Amino acid sequence: MAQAVLTVGKAKTWSVPDWRPRRTTVLAFALLAPSLLFLALFTYWPVVQVLWQSLHGQVRVGGPQAYVGAQNFLKLFADPAFRKALANNLVYALGTVIPSLVLALGFAMALARSSRVNALFRALFFLPVLIPLVAAASIFLFLFLPNIGLIDYHLAKLAISGPNWLGDPDVALWSIMALTVWKNAGYYMLFFLAGLQAVPADAYEAAILDGAGPWQRLRYVTLPYLKPTIGFVLVIGLLNVVTQVDHVFVLTKGGPSDSTNLLLFYVYQQAVENYDAGRAAAGTLVMLALLLVVTASSLRTLERSFGEKDA
Amino acid sequence: MTTTRRSVLAGAALAASFALQPAFAQAPTEIELFFPVPVDGQLARDMATLIKEFNEKNPTIKATPVYTGSYDETLIKTRAAMKAGKPPAAVIMSANFLLDLKIEGEIQSMDALIKADGKTNDQFMGQFFDALHGNAVLDRQVYGVPFHNSTPLLYVNTDHLKEAGLDPDKLPANWEELVTTAKKLTKRDGDRVTRWGMMMPSNYDYGGWILQALTQSNGGEWFNVNYGGEVYYDTPSMLGALTFWSDLVTKHKVHPAGVQAGGAVSGAFLAGQTSMMLLSTGSLTHIRNNAKFPYKVAFVPKNVRNAVPIGGASLVIPTGVEGERRKAAWTLINWMTAPEKSAWWSRATGYFAPNKAAYDTPEMKEFIAKNPDAGIAVKQLDVAKPWFATYKTVPVRKAIEDELAAVLSAKKTPKEALVAAQKQADEIMRPFVEQTALKLPTN
Repeated sequence: MAQAVLTVGKAKTWSVPDWRPRRTTVLAFALLAPSLLFLALFTYWPVVQVLWQSLHGQVRVGGPQAYVGAQNFLKLFADPAFRKALANNLVYALGTVIPSLVLALGFAMALARSSRVNALFRALFFLPVLIPLVAAASIFLFLFLPNIGLIDYHLAKLAISGPNWLGDPDVALWSIMALTVWKNAGYYMLFFLAGLQAVPADAYEAAILDGAGPWQRLRYVTLPYLKPTIGFVLVIGLLNVVTQVDHVFVLTKGGPSDSTNLLLFYVYQQAVENYDAGRAAAGTLVMLALLLVVTASSLRTLERSFGEKDA
Repeated sequence: MTTTRRSVLAGAALAASFALQPAFAQAPTEIELFFPVPVDGQLARDMATLIKEFNEKNPTIKATPVYTGSYDETLIKTRAAMKAGKPPAAVIMSANFLLDLKIEGEIQSMDALIKADGKTNDQFMGQFFDALHGNAVLDRQVYGVPFHNSTPLLYVNTDHLKEAGLDPDKLPANWEELVTTAKKLTKRDGDRVTRWGMMMPSNYDYGGWILQALTQSNGGEWFNVNYGGEVYYDTPSMLGALTFWSDLVTKHKVHPAGVQAGGAVSGAFLAGQTSMMLLSTGSLTHIRNNAKFPYKVAFVPKNVRNAVPIGGASLVIPTGVEGERRKAAWTLINWMTAPEKSAWWSRATGYFAPNKAAYDTPEMKEFIAKNPDAGIAVKQLDVAKPWFATYKTVPVRKAIEDELAAVLSAKKTPKEALVAAQKQADEIMRPFVEQTALKLPTN
């Protein structure tokens, strides 16, 4: 049907005489129509629904949804579990994005030159990316098992008893962060490999002639050229931090004592366990706002860094 | 042009399908059954076998089993289906969700259906173990029919008992004996523990259930069985239970610190890394099939009295299922919970058969004679009590489970934890309490 409408629209615009200034606009919209329709149905309409839901809640127990104004948001910010999830998400963001970035850059620089051995290592480092997060989490569930898990098994050989990886509130979030770094570093490496190809060889030559050591070359040649890549990977990394909680779901369900609860999982808990659609919607909107801020500011830095390079 | 022709054709087909609908009226009533699999994959196949047999025996009904994941996911999917206006005709629902569903008006009373069969509610429920009534009969109306059930149970590796010079026929029956036995069974290599004396699962869902078992064994109730707005977290019986668990970790050092997941506990037991554990009777088949050593089971050790909560699931009919579909659902529910099928399902899964008469069938008698551990598990039903269920059961339970985790990780004292949990739970239940127990005549 959509196709039919499209062809009809096209035919019309072709037959329209030149004096109509909006010809190209009509054509553009006609071409965009199919994806706009689906975006509207599956993205914009749900956003509107979430907006509506965030202002509604159950007033009478067992009753219908009624307008409650900003109450959902007030309750959300008053909930210590939400604040905990927000703080956890911050630690999680810093503790996963930065190490994965550093590791990825290291891998990429070590494997930048094409050779058979390097190709093999690239494939090995990239392997975790191919495993879905849920599957990876299920594997780590066995690695992290206290006493009988693979990690504790090897530690026991060294006569060390490991902590309760997922069951200790002080350790659990770090275990999950380690899994995330393992999962993402290989992916980011790919971008850095591509980015490194763009660093001109004569820039290095010039640096060497000027007597720059390896650190200086990294600091004054490689990193400036990689700025756009770093910016891009940063955006991807921060988006992942907010939008991926599969491993939390599989490994800890946000526990123990909310120590691994992240924003998205908190929203899930409100919607499903607490059956409070209003607060879940409010949480979603807060998350969405955070995502927009992160994306907008990173994209601006990204553009600026592109600009710098051009100048 | 093609568009018009196509749409005409489509329109004609649509019209034809409407016109033909009355002709299908004589076809079997189609119903769906949502079922969770909390234990392992084999059950999904067993369920398909069961429903296939039902369809063959009841040609006027066509039931389709729909696998809906875990207990929690089944709740989510049922609610989603209801929101979409297409409630499944019957659902196997975690028994402690029934109260919440009733409060939200999402499941229907089965009283009229029972009456139409010429029975009273008491006659109908009389076929099931008494312990199961509390989670199925709400406000004296039947909202669920017990399908498969469990209780916590003490599992002991008897090889370890012998090795420690203990009598393998005498399992710990009270907390005192549990501690002395666990101390003898715990093995250390310097500071490192190589074998724990005792393990209990404390992950979400499981932890609350086990703590309820300890509380009830300590004379407590955990929650108000008759009213969904009260829990007794900050009470002596609960303080004793939580302190006991915490002592096993920090004082006696026979139980690992932090949260232990159910799978980690059964895994450690099967690997010989813990000598005793409290786990669901629903794991009995799994342990029986995988233990490479002799083990025995016993009642959950008591401090004040023998008492445990039930677990498991009941069959419910969602609101909005009417007419023929409702009748068909009722036929299916009765068929699935009759003694013979109940017994078959119990043997296949390891859960109890809730129907008492199931244990009078010859197959079941033979099975119990061959597996005395299953017999002990059933006997514990005599002292079993309802599973905690309140307004918003899951968050109210999470309130105490988060504190339990803090205590087991030595972050809080039991008393601090219970005060915090009580406050949190009261806060969650406040809207319900304000609209029920605290809603008083104003003039």
